[in-house]
Amino acid sequence: MSDNLITFTNVSRFYGEVLGINNVSLSVPPGITSLVGPNGSGKTTLMNLMTGLIHPTEGEIRVLGIPPDHPERLCRVLGYCAQFDAFPKGITGYQFIYSFLRMYGKSDAECDQRTRASLEMVGLTQAADRPVAAYSKGMRQRVKLAQATAHNPRVVVLDEPLNGLDPLARSEAIAIFRQWGGEGRHVLVSSHILHEVDQISDQVILLSQGYVVAEGQIQGVRSEVKEQPMQIQVRCDKPSLLAARLFQQDHVVEAKLSPDGKGLLLRTRDADSFYLLLNRVILDSALEVESVAPADDDVNSVYHYLIGEGSSV
Amino acid sequence: MAVYKKTYRPYEGALTPSWSRFVVIPRYAFEDLHKSRFLTIFYIASFLYPLISALLIYVQHNASALGIVGARGANQLIDVNVVFFLNFLGWQSMLGLFLASFIGPGQISPDVANNALSLYMARPFSRLEYVLGKMSVLAVLLSLMTWVPGLLLFGLKGYFAGSQWMSDHWQYASGVFLGAWIWILIVSLLALALSAWVKWKPAAGGLMFGVFFVAAAFGAIINAVQRTNWGSLFNVGYLVGSVWVQLFEGSNQTSTGAVFFRSPADNALPLWCSWFGLAALCGVCLYMLARKIRGAEVVR
Amino acid sequence: MDPVIELDGLEVRFGNRPILNKLKASLTGRSIGLLGPNGAGKSTLINALLGFHKPSAGTARIFGRDIRTHAREVRSLIGYMPENDAFIASMSGVRSVRLMAELAGLPPEHALERAHEAFFYVGLGEVRYRPVGTYSLGMKQMAKLAQAIAHGPKLLFLDEPTNGLDPPARTRMIQLIQEIRNRGDLHLILSSHLLRDVEECCDQVLILKDGNVAAFCNLEEERRANKRFLEIETRGGVNGDFLGAIEQLGCETATGGQGRIKLILPDGLEVRQLYEIAARQDVQIRRLSHKRDSLEDIFLKAMESADGRL
Repeated sequence: MSDNLITFTNVSRFYGEVLGINNVSLSVPPGITSLVGPNGSGKTTLMNLMTGLIHPTEGEIRVLGIPPDHPERLCRVLGYCAQFDAFPKGITGYQFIYSFLRMYGKSDAECDQRTRASLEMVGLTQAADRPVAAYSKGMRQRVKLAQATAHNPRVVVLDEPLNGLDPLARSEAIAIFRQWGGEGRHVLVSSHILHEVDQISDQVILLSQGYVVAEGQIQGVRSEVKEQPMQIQVRCDKPSLLAARLFQQDHVVEAKLSPDGKGLLLRTRDADSFYLLLNRVILDSALEVESVAPADDDVNSVYHYLIGEGSSV
Repeated sequence: MAVYKKTYRPYEGALTPSWSRFVVIPRYAFEDLHKSRFLTIFYIASFLYPLISALLIYVQHNASALGIVGARGANQLIDVNVVFFLNFLGWQSMLGLFLASFIGPGQISPDVANNALSLYMARPFSRLEYVLGKMSVLAVLLSLMTWVPGLLLFGLKGYFAGSQWMSDHWQYASGVFLGAWIWILIVSLLALALSAWVKWKPAAGGLMFGVFFVAAAFGAIINAVQRTNWGSLFNVGYLVGSVWVQLFEGSNQTSTGAVFFRSPADNALPLWCSWFGLAALCGVCLYMLARKIRGAEVVR
Repeated sequence: MDPVIELDGLEVRFGNRPILNKLKASLTGRSIGLLGPNGAGKSTLINALLGFHKPSAGTARIFGRDIRTHAREVRSLIGYMPENDAFIASMSGVRSVRLMAELAGLPPEHALERAHEAFFYVGLGEVRYRPVGTYSLGMKQMAKLAQAIAHGPKLLFLDEPTNGLDPPARTRMIQLIQEIRNRGDLHLILSSHLLRDVEECCDQVLILKDGNVAAFCNLEEERRANKRFLEIETRGGVNGDFLGAIEQLGCETATGGQGRIKLILPDGLEVRQLYEIAARQDVQIRRLSHKRDSLEDIFLKAMESADGRL
């Protein structure tokens, strides 16, 4: 059963006195999971623990049932793409991927084939024989991705993989992540770009100052934040009429008319009832609706509620 | 009652004249240098020699005037002649090298370390002004150590000895002035070039000494092994010394250069070689600076 | 309106390699986005406009001044926020911004005043006396913005301003940029890989590819058009019933995941009719918005054209 999960059980990691993460318990299923949190919140610590690069001060970690201090087993199923560039001097793109593949003990022919497949997946076939030092930032990012996945791992850990990629490369990379997620792999991505996190993730883990603040699917997480009623923005031609109808309900907590007189921002404890009510109001009062949007049903708002302004500027 | 909000406002005031902008750099550099007590003490200590020299001139003059020793005796005590001024220049210049190796490395390397040069160059400010500004830091300090007290000593002696002496020995004044400036130019360019290329400050300072002493030793070895004089091209002290001798004495050399800047008459290179060697050194430094001082790196 | 930047056949080469090929464009907006894949020449264009690279042919004009002949004057009107780290580690924040402002021509006292103001404006008031080398990444980005605006330029070049910032810092930076744009007296060129940043902050967009102008469009106009494209997100109801019902009304639809539907309303059909169906089927329409031809589509279309030429 746990063969399908990455589990952390009461894991803590300290660097001397400095806190990395404290008493974290997680269970990560297959699919795309995003790690979100301010700089210094423990994302990189979590990733390094998962990949076995550092050991926990306390607690137990299992990746698909394998403990990370057995790298000979772990590294076969796991691929890691770090945030910062680190390449051996003078190496070409092809050599970079090929030489690390050989360390898995595969034959020359198979390594060659996998390397070429990897390079083609990220679109670097033509640049493969040039030194990595001459690559642009986006190309370096892509070759790191290729190297992390060339050995077909079941778990892929990516630390800010879209950093420096132009919009086209971003959507291509996101498509690749979606494909991997769909294949049942564990794809862990850390990112600061919350609207992308919204788009691609199946689950999300929010970290702040070394603690896991929330985890799960976005809508699930949002509905758990009960102190904050749902905010919904409606743009229509008769907002006051809508507001009047809404105040007849007891689940609506607040309704704010927008300054231009064409919109309404409301807060309700029961979003489902509100939406069904909205259907009826529109038909009864011939309301012309321009747009309806939940104002805080996304990672951005959850982040704001749970983490707030973060630790520093 | 009015409520004020901190906001951005455009700038509508006067601007400083364009030509004087490079002075901003030495101003900031001097404020920074002030903070180092070691440097301040070192700098003050470097005026010891000029002070002693002034005292010697005074004693020499007054000794003969007071008839204590007699005019010839006073001249035996201390002779204010070519050697006097050359040694003064040599000694102060070597102290200047020390100072430059402490101060120099910290001038450009902080700007290069974190790419601040692109901020400098994005302003109405050119590379030339930047280098001039940085050079003037060293130039001002070194000038105050070398030709300024040198000319003051010349003036002091002239005051005691009369205007005839001054016009007879005007070469001392021009020698001190031009010789000091040649040295200042070489030292500042070298210090800045090393500061731009070498990140670790102690290494840059050490390299400055290396260029003088190690290269000189290398030159001496060449001379000994090949039984030639051309090794002296590597000896910057020799090159400078020979140039100074020409400035002070023209073509009739009587001295052997200055302390630290020995230029013996016997195994001399033709003078144009010295000038050429020094010019080449300056050229190399300028080239090094031009490569590093850029708004944006060009990657081919 | 007088163009802020006019590119007049600007060509830049590194050695023999052409990087920018005879660019021609006239940029007039308050805030102009600069997009393009890696290697398209965005940084080279900015560097060329700043005078760091000499054009091999053609020229450009900023506020009417030619960058080849009046480079110094042009630079006195510009503020530059580089993509890479750019700071003097040992100087305090205020001191380094003051130095930069003085180099731009401000008298020392005014430079000091404005350095403090700039730090408060970007939100770094608390840390302005600390050496910049001790700042966190977010603070260093804000400090770069402070030095770019302290001398009161007329045009700001912002190169990847939200690079590496965590979400609250990103929001703050975007808000600041929008505030600056809304002032009207300070124009912006924003170069970024994040389409959303450009969408939120810019009026016009210049897209480069392989050193050529691949597209140049006015986002304001795009936003005003296209009322017939809708994006809705539904919840509840029986699978596929809602979709089937609206298709029967004549809408062209496309489904995304999780109940998201993109549709085109045929002429004569009103939004209210969608709500009729929803009410009948007890389906919640949790999100409804008019999709504009968003920047992503414009960008992808521009990338597809064969040689990137407009």
